[in-house]
Parts: sequence; structure tokens; C-alpha cells
Amino acid sequence: MSKKIFMLLLTLIGALAIFAACGNDQAGDQDVEITLINNKVEIDGALRDFARLYEEMFGVRVNIHSFGGETPYAPSLAALLAGGDEPEIFVFEGMTDFLAAQAGGRVLDMSDQPWVNDTSMEFRYNGRVYGFPVALEGWGLGYNTRILREAGIDPATLTNVNAIRNAFETIDAMRDELGLVSVVSMAAGPGMTWVTGLHGTNAYLSLGLAYEDTRIIDMLNNGQVDEQRLLYFAEYYNLLFQFANPSTMLVGGFDDQIGDFATERTAFIHQGNWIDPVFEEWGVNFEMGYVPHAFLPTNVNGIFVGAPSWYLVNPRSDNHEAALAFLQFMAGSPEGHRYMVVYAGAVPAFYSVPYSPAGPLSRAVTEWSARGAVYAWHQNDMPAGFGMDTLGPIYELMASGAIDAAEFARLFTNAVAALN
Amino acid sequence: MVTFFMFLLPAVLSFVIVIIVPFIFGVYYSFTDWNAMTGGADVNFVGFANYAAVFNDPRFLHSFLVTVAFAVINIIVVNVVAFSLALLVTNKLKLVGLYRAAFFMPHLIGGIILGYIWQFIFNSAITQVGSNLGIGFLATSLLGHSQWALLAIVLVVVWQNAGFFMMIYVAAIQSAPAELIEAAQIDGATYLQRVRNIIMPLVAPAFTVAMFLTLVRSFQQFDVNMALTAGGPAGMFMGQAIPTTELLALNIYNTAFTVRQLAQGQARAVVFFVTLALVALIQVYFNKRKELEM
Amino acid sequence: MKNQLKMYALEIVAILVLIIYMLPFVIVLINSAKPVLDIIVDPLALPEDPARIFTNIEAVMASQVVRYTSSFISSSIITIISVFALVIISSMAAWVLVRTKSTLSTVIFMIFVAAMVIPFQVVMFPLVSWFHRIEVFTGLINTPFRLLQNYPGIILAYMGFGTPLSIFLYHGFIKGIPLELEEAAKIDGCSSAKTFFSIVFPVLKPITVTVMILNGIWIWNDFLLPLMVLGTGNAVQTIPLAVQHFVGSFVRRWDLILTTTLMGMLPVVIIFIFLQKYIIKGMVDGAVKG
Repeated sequence: MSKKIFMLLLTLIGALAIFAACGNDQAGDQDVEITLINNKVEIDGALRDFARLYEEMFGVRVNIHSFGGETPYAPSLAALLAGGDEPEIFVFEGMTDFLAAQAGGRVLDMSDQPWVNDTSMEFRYNGRVYGFPVALEGWGLGYNTRILREAGIDPATLTNVNAIRNAFETIDAMRDELGLVSVVSMAAGPGMTWVTGLHGTNAYLSLGLAYEDTRIIDMLNNGQVDEQRLLYFAEYYNLLFQFANPSTMLVGGFDDQIGDFATERTAFIHQGNWIDPVFEEWGVNFEMGYVPHAFLPTNVNGIFVGAPSWYLVNPRSDNHEAALAFLQFMAGSPEGHRYMVVYAGAVPAFYSVPYSPAGPLSRAVTEWSARGAVYAWHQNDMPAGFGMDTLGPIYELMASGAIDAAEFARLFTNAVAALN
Repeated sequence: MVTFFMFLLPAVLSFVIVIIVPFIFGVYYSFTDWNAMTGGADVNFVGFANYAAVFNDPRFLHSFLVTVAFAVINIIVVNVVAFSLALLVTNKLKLVGLYRAAFFMPHLIGGIILGYIWQFIFNSAITQVGSNLGIGFLATSLLGHSQWALLAIVLVVVWQNAGFFMMIYVAAIQSAPAELIEAAQIDGATYLQRVRNIIMPLVAPAFTVAMFLTLVRSFQQFDVNMALTAGGPAGMFMGQAIPTTELLALNIYNTAFTVRQLAQGQARAVVFFVTLALVALIQVYFNKRKELEM
Repeated sequence: MKNQLKMYALEIVAILVLIIYMLPFVIVLINSAKPVLDIIVDPLALPEDPARIFTNIEAVMASQVVRYTSSFISSSIITIISVFALVIISSMAAWVLVRTKSTLSTVIFMIFVAAMVIPFQVVMFPLVSWFHRIEVFTGLINTPFRLLQNYPGIILAYMGFGTPLSIFLYHGFIKGIPLELEEAAKIDGCSSAKTFFSIVFPVLKPITVTVMILNGIWIWNDFLLPLMVLGTGNAVQTIPLAVQHFVGSFVRRWDLILTTTLMGMLPVVIIFIFLQKYIIKGMVDGAVKG
């Protein structure tokens, strides 16, 4: 390389360094600054706007760090903590995360916070409150209203496995007429084990049980299963798999799965209300709703609704008092309520929020919760990685036809037994 | 002597700070219950518990075997393709500059992005072609079958790396004195004879280097694996359902982050290191001997 | 005549291989100019409105998460400084290692080579917590020169991870250089530093180009190390980290991912095309002379 190019590159570095230095200017002499670690890139913009508003009103700067992508939340957070950073607020997703954070002395008791009485979704451990619910999410078996009507099926009747099987068979017989590629839009491939291994398994853990009933999850964590229940569950998932489009199910990603449903080429979808933003982005606008994942022969009536994640306040951070104030403002002010529902598009976890979300599936979740027809989320109380990493491949094997429901139940039982 | 140390100092210093010290910590942590979430300070010594768990995990054992299979196939295919491309572009072709640049180009792109692009090609583009042409075999994605999925990773890695190793071989081939080749031509040696008797011995040192680099890269393969197959599809091994194309680096990553067992991940990484070091040593030893024979 | 025919056949083979090689790029290009649903429905169709690519580029440029301009600048600073540092420290080290014939220099060289087989996974976490200890110990943590989430740390990390291969390459090349020049300089009374920088270093040009290209490509595209040392969402963010943002927690925005991919590739491809002559010649001259 000639000297000229070398000099050019050197000058370039110098220029870039100066340029970059300008970008790092701090806003001035603020005393209090807090940092919030967010795990949803989708709401990053809304959260930043809210943080800016908060700074204007109270002079407290709120730094938002959003980690996204396939799995980078866990390594990013771990790297941050290993690197000695102590953010004021960060997200945790269930019992395992909580226990790790607690062992590190990073959870503050928030039982005395005013918002505790305004929700039923706070995270409790030994009776004390440690988590601020970020939002409500819910899922059942999503359906396309028009397709069900044209097939002559009333969604209100789909409350047990026999009714669902009949509906699947009826629609399958009319596939060409209705222009469908398959009855159900399902995903069970390697990148999608959160759909089967986590959310799918939750049906086994909570369907038909009272919201506080932890019998099945407690058994699982002790290495035991309810055999009859597990068999019903396995047969139901086998049914979903048999009526799904195999290529989308086995190798497709999230977009493929939603894509089949969004283009009205399937009647049902196994996904939660977090797919609403996708519909909005794609300009999809048809009526839809939820029926229960009714895998039992007896009638059930409810979908799975819970808080997928919580904010904790880290007592090892510098400004945890300011962090508590920020969360109070989010839960208790009109600005906070508007942020949660109107801008972030979430189903609010607090009773006093006067808004309802606009997305079609979020509306369906709101309706089911208003009726109290809800079952709990227990999937995040399984050991970390158990649902996705250990159970996920078992679901995939059944989806590919390599094993039947009985073998699925056997492998599932063995995997659970190994937990003990 | 002063010069010796002064000149070495910056390299040795950064090497020690960045690799050696963390490496020692890393080995130490593999004998503890270390967990970054709990703060890192309060670690307890647990002896060989993490290692015992490693060797009792069918998923890890399978991952180990698949990695070896992948490495063997990959080393052979990358080098064969790279050497063939090198032979091709050392002819007096009209567009030779274009070919060299184009074959090198995939190497300019990161593995994560390449993985996503190719996943898209395997799942959407090829299946579309398959069903349009009525070829049943191609109409379902190859990524859905274990053996094909592994070969798909090989294909992408070859596509990414062959152009780079081609350059190494081109360099070696061009160092051949022209007179030697001409003399052989006049003697009436066929093309294959010339490749075998003149070119191959000349590129022997290049083979050693290329084999070493492909070996290390194959074992450490992570980006393409994660983005292309994410370890799938599922299969059965030792009575347990496991992901069939999860290479070691990805297995370690998942142990650390999905299952959140950092110390256990460290233990796997140490096992991984010892294996790779042994294999590399053996390989370099045999290649050097081969080189001398040629 | 027969030879002529053979060359034509070979040319055709080469063109066919070239087309196969380029197909994936074509697929990226045509899909960068489509809205998401079109990509899902038919990935092979040509875009209906090719100008859509500009809409997608605008969307990427406007994104607060990607911060393309700032990510681009950070990636450039990290890549350029790390590569130059690597060139200097590795060539210096390799030179004395070759020219000093002693057991010590052999051992040091072997350790460098052996380190190439250390998997990144063994060191990635300890590296972060160790860097933090250094920051705290030296008091750098509250200064603009802190290591983590900042330039000094990531550049230092690349200097460390890059030295083994770079020294290995320089070592092989220097072995093949005749001693006479250096000896003449020594007789003239040049200091070692002067001898190295004004006489030896220029001779190393071919291998230097190789070392620069290899490290440059690696550092520009690297994902896991910046994820560990820089984290995402901080002031200093590289292009691969930014692209990963578009993958989102769940949805793959193919239109924007492919566009960002294209925008991430473009600078490298342009530099490559621009300097192609030097790079290929450098690679060929420098690659393996060991």
C-alpha cells in the first residue's frame, strides 16, 4: 500500500475520533440518573419517549438499554453484571432468574409500593413483592372469525377436545373451498421451541385449574407427572401437529407461522397477543379471537393470561430510590398509562389503567380477562432452559411424525423424572 | 536482548491480558459454582462435579460426535473446493481478476448474516424451486433432515471460506517457477500428471497451514450454526430427544445462556479446548511428515 | 487450436461457478426491495417496485435502535485502530522472534501458535469480569478511558485475540527474507528500531496487506466479542450488533434485516473492489511463504 493511502487512513481515524467524541457529550449537570434494561426491542421507541418525558417533568435522566435478537438478553445482562455495572432496573422472566438475582443481592422488597394494590400480577416470593409486572400477555388457540363462520362452526362451542377435533376435520374437508394451506398455523422447529416447549407446556401445567393452583408445576419440579393428564395433552398436541402445514411447522420461523395466518391461509394459530404489532405493520385487518387450548375431554373455559416478565429494582445500584419513583409514575399516572397501552401496545397489568389496546388479539385477551376466564402462566417456573432445551426437541419429534403421543408422554415423563 | 524484549512487549502484554489471564480464570471457574448473575465474587469450589455432569449428558456427547463429523467433512470439502478453484483461476482466463474477487467475496460477510440469508434460501427459495419443478425431494426444506442439515452447514461454510483458502493456494501455485511447468509440458506430461508431480509438492506447506486453519475454524464454528439451523432438527440419541446439529460452540453457548449454567459451560469449554489442542497437534505433526515425504 | 478450445471450455466452467457463487447475493438484493409479506409469499419474484429499496434504507437510517451512522463510525474506529495496532505489534514481535535464535523465542512463538486453538467460549466471560477488575484497580472506570462499553477495551481485546494469527503469518514471511539488508544497516550504525521501521517493515508490505485484510474482515463482522465487551444499546455499538437488533425478540423483519445487511456489506465490498488489486496481490505475495 502506498504512503498516500496510509496517510489518508490515518487522517480518517483522526477525523472519526473527533467526530465520535462530539457524539458522547453529556447533557449537563444532572445529579440523578437511572438505567433500565429492557428485553423487548419492539417497545424500545415508546420506552425512550416515555423516559424523555419523565426527564422533562422531573429532571431525572432515565437511560434505556434494549437488548434484543434471538437470545442476547441473557448474555448481555450477564456480561453487564459481570462487568460491574449495576443498573437500577432490569427485567427478569421467572423464578430461575429471580433466584439468581436474589442470590446476587439484586432484588429490593417492594411490598410497600402503592401500585401493589392496583394489580394481581406482581411477582411474589415468600409473600413479599419483588417484581413490577411489565404487561399482561395471553394466548389461546387464535382463530379467523370469517373462516369459522363459513365452515359453520361456532367458536363458543370449542371448549373440549372432541369439539376441537370435529372442527378441525370439518375445516380440513373444506380446505380447497376455503383456500387454506392447512387448518392450524403451528411452529415446532429448532428456533421456535419457545412456542412448544414453553407456551405449549404451560397448557399441561395450568389448563382447567384455579389460578393459584400450582399442583402440576409443583409435581413437575419434584420430578413427577400426572399421567392421564399428560396423555390427553400429548394427544391434543399431536392433533395440532397433524392439521398443520409441515414445512411451516418444522423449518419455518415466526414470520412464516404468522404469515400463513395473516394471509388467511389457515383457520387457527398457536400464538399470543404479542403478534398484534406484526398485524399492524403488515396491514392485516380481519376479525379474530381466541378459544381455549381445550385438550381435556371435559369442558374448560379460559385462556392463559399472565405477566411474562417483571421489573426488579436493584438495591446495589446508586439510585434505587429514584427507580422506585419512576415505577410509581409509570403505574400511577395518566402519562404512564398512556405509554403502556397506547404507545407500547400492551394489555395493562394494573386495574386503574383506563385504556384498552387496539390490536385484535390484545382485545380478545382483555375480554377473556374481564370475564375472569383465565388460567395461570407457570412455564417460567420450570427450571431454566427445561422447556425450550429439553422438552422442545421432544415436541419437534412428534411434529415430524417420528414418535406418537404415547411415546411423547414417555419421553416427557423421563425428562421430568431427570429433574429430581 | 533489550531490543528483543522491547519489541515483544506490546504483543506479549496484550496477549497475556486478553487471553492468558482470562483463560486461567476460565479453567478455575470450571471447578466452581460460578455464576455471573450472582455477582462473581462468591464462588465455591465444587471439584470435578461440573466435569462429571458434562460426560453424563447425552446431548453433549452427541454434540461432540457431530462436531467431529462436521470438522472432518468440512476440512476435506473446503480444501478440495479451494484447491480446485485455485487451479481454475491460475489458468490464463480472460476474466481471471473478476473470478478471484467474486470467489473471495462471501468471506467479506459475517457468519450470522450469512446464516440468516441461507436459512431463507433453504427454507423459501429452494423449496419454491422444488415445488415449481415438481421435485418432491427439494419441495421440503433440507434443513428438516438431520444429515442434510449438517451438510447444509458445510455448504454455507464452504461457500464462505473456500475463496479465502483459494488465495492461499493461488499464492503457492504461483510460486512455481514457470520453467519447471513449461519443461513438463514439453515432456508431454498430462495436466493431471503436472498437478500431481509439480503443483502438489509445491503447495504442501500451504496445505499444512490451510488444514490447520480449517481445523481450528471447523471446531470453533458458531455463527453459521446458530443462525442457520439453531441446532435442529430434533432426533433421538441414547434414549433422549436432542437437537442433532448442535455443534460444540453452540452447545456451550446454550448451556451458559439458555440453561444459565455458566460454570458448567466453562467445564464444557475446557473439554473442548483439550480435544482441539490434541487434534491440532496430531494433525500438524502428520502434515509436516507428509510435507517432507513429498 | 485444441488448446484454444480447452481454454474456452474452462472459461465457461468458470463463468458457471461464478454465477452459482453470486446467486445468494442476487437473492438478498431482490428481497431488499420488497415489503415483508411479498418476501414470505414469493421470495424468488422480482420486486414490483424496485424503488422500495430506498424506503427500506430510509427506515434503517431513521431507526433509533440501529443508529446506522454512529454504528458505522464506531465500527470504523474499532476496525481501523485495531488493525493498525495489530500490524505494528505483531510485525515487531515476529521480527525479533525470527531474528533471535534462542529456545526462549521458540517457546514464545509456540505459545502464540498454540493459543489459536483456545475456544473463545473459554475466555469470554472471565474476560469481561477481569477487564472490570482492571478498570476498578487502575481507577479508569470513571474516566472516558474505561475499558468496557468503550473503545479502549474492545481494541485491546482485538489486539490480544489477533496477535497469534498475525504473528504466525509475519513469522512465516520474515523467515524467507535474506539477512543482508539488515546487516548492512547494522554496520551503518542504525538502531534496531530504525532498522526495523525503515528497512524491514517496508519489505513486509505483501504480508502486511494480508494481515490487514484478514483482521479487518474478522473485526468488522465479529459478533460475540463486541456483544460481550460493548453490550448492545450503549453509546459504542458496531454494525453486526445493530443488525441483530432488527432480528427483534421474535419477529424477523426480513425487509429491514436484508437492507441492513446490504448496508453493512457495502462499505467492505466497496473498499475491496477499490483496493482489489493490492489485496489480491498482497494475499498472493504474502499468504504462505513459510
